[in-house]
Amino acid sequence: MDKIHDVLILGGGPGGYTAALYCARAGLDTLVVEKLSAGGQMALTQQIDNYPGFEEGIDGFTLGERMQQGAERFGARTLLAEAHSAELTGPVKKIHTSEGTLQARAVILATGAGARPLGLEREDEFTGRGLYYCAACDGMACRGKTVVVVGGGNTAAADALLLSRLCEKVILVHRRGTLKATKIYHEPLFKAPNLEFHWNSQVTALLGEGRLSGVEIRQNETGKITRLDCAGIFVSIGRSPATELFRGQLELDEGGYIQADETTRTSLPGVFAVGDVRTKAVRQVVTAVGDGAAASHFAEEYLAGLDASH
Amino acid sequence: MSAIQLNADTFRTQVLEQKQPALVEFMAPWCVYCRRIGPAFDKIAQEKGPGLLVGKLDIDDQPQLADRYQVEVVPTLLFFKDGEPVGRIVAPDSKAKIDAFLEQYL
Repeated sequence: MDKIHDVLILGGGPGGYTAALYCARAGLDTLVVEKLSAGGQMALTQQIDNYPGFEEGIDGFTLGERMQQGAERFGARTLLAEAHSAELTGPVKKIHTSEGTLQARAVILATGAGARPLGLEREDEFTGRGLYYCAACDGMACRGKTVVVVGGGNTAAADALLLSRLCEKVILVHRRGTLKATKIYHEPLFKAPNLEFHWNSQVTALLGEGRLSGVEIRQNETGKITRLDCAGIFVSIGRSPATELFRGQLELDEGGYIQADETTRTSLPGVFAVGDVRTKAVRQVVTAVGDGAAASHFAEEYLAGLDASH
Repeated sequence: MSAIQLNADTFRTQVLEQKQPALVEFMAPWCVYCRRIGPAFDKIAQEKGPGLLVGKLDIDDQPQLADRYQVEVVPTLLFFKDGEPVGRIVAPDSKAKIDAFLEQYL
C-alpha cells in the first residue's frame, strides 16, 4: 500500500503493454494490472493478419504474450488483479483491486471494450447456457442445431457465416432493413442455404428453463411477436467500453469512451487513456499500440513536471 | 507447480479417489478462451500449493467425462471435494473471480 509506482497501467492488451514497454525502457517503475491474461480482446482472435511484421499472421493470444514479455524484459511487472474502484484526482492516484490498493503518480487506462449486452432480462442467467457473445469461441456448443445471431455489422455477418457452417440453421435478426456489414460479406450470406433473415426485428425476450431454448422477437414495422425455438443466441451488436470505474471522474463521450486526443491525455492531469477505451475513429491493434507509445511520452513529460515543481 | 493435464486414469486416481480437493478445468485445445485462463490457472496452482490439485481435462479426449459432469461449455471449472463435484463456474473473466469461487470451498 505504501509503495508509490511511477506508472500504473490498467489493462494488459496491446495498448497497455506497449505503454509498459515504453515506460519501462524510459526507466519508470511500471506496473501493469491485468485481470486474466495478456492480449485483451485480441487474445480471442485466432489469426491476426493486419499487425505488420508477421508475414504469416499471428494468433492474438501469442501476440499478447510476446508484448508482455517484451515489456517485462525492461522491468515492467504484471499483477493479476481485478480493479474495483479508482481515485484518479490528486497527485497520487489510487486503484483498489482484488489484491489490495495500488498507488501511482500517473495512470494509463487501457481497459478496452467488451461485447455489448442486449440489456434483456435473464441475460446473465443464460450467459454460457445458450447465450453467447463469441461465435468463434462458443459456436461448437450449438453444432448441428438452430441458432439466432443478433446484429447486422461485420462481426454479426462473420459470426453468421461461421455458424452457418457448423449449425443446422442460422437465423439473423437485425433491427434495420439492410446489413451494415461491408459488401464482402453480402454474397456469401445471401447464398448460404441455411441462413434465414428477420429484418427490422429485435429480440424482446429470452426463453427457457435453466438453459436458453428460444427467443421472442418483434417485427418493428408490424409489431408482430414471433417465438423462435433455438439452441443458442449469439449477440453481435457492437462493443461497449470498460469505463464504469471512471464514470463521474473523467470526461466520457456519448458512447461512454474516455475523452482524450492523440496525446492520450484525459480531463485529469496524470491520467492517460489508450486503445479501444479512448474516443477515436479507428480501433485496431496497430492504433492501440500507437496510443501506448504516445501515453508513455506524455506520462514521462507529466512526471518530469511533477519532479521539477518539487 | 503449474496446472497438470489429466487423463481418464489420473482423473480417477488424483481427483475422484483423493481426500484432497481439486479444481478441474474442462477445456479443449481449440477453445481460445481456455488459453486466456491458462496464466491465471497456473498462478492459482502455484499459490495454493500441494493442498489443492489444479488440473485440466481435455473434453475432446474425454467426452464421456464431459457428459457425466454435464459440461456443455468450455472452459467450465469444477471444484471436487471427496471425489464429488460441489461447485462450478463457467468461463470466469478474471483471476479474482476464480479466487472468489475457490474461497467458498477452501
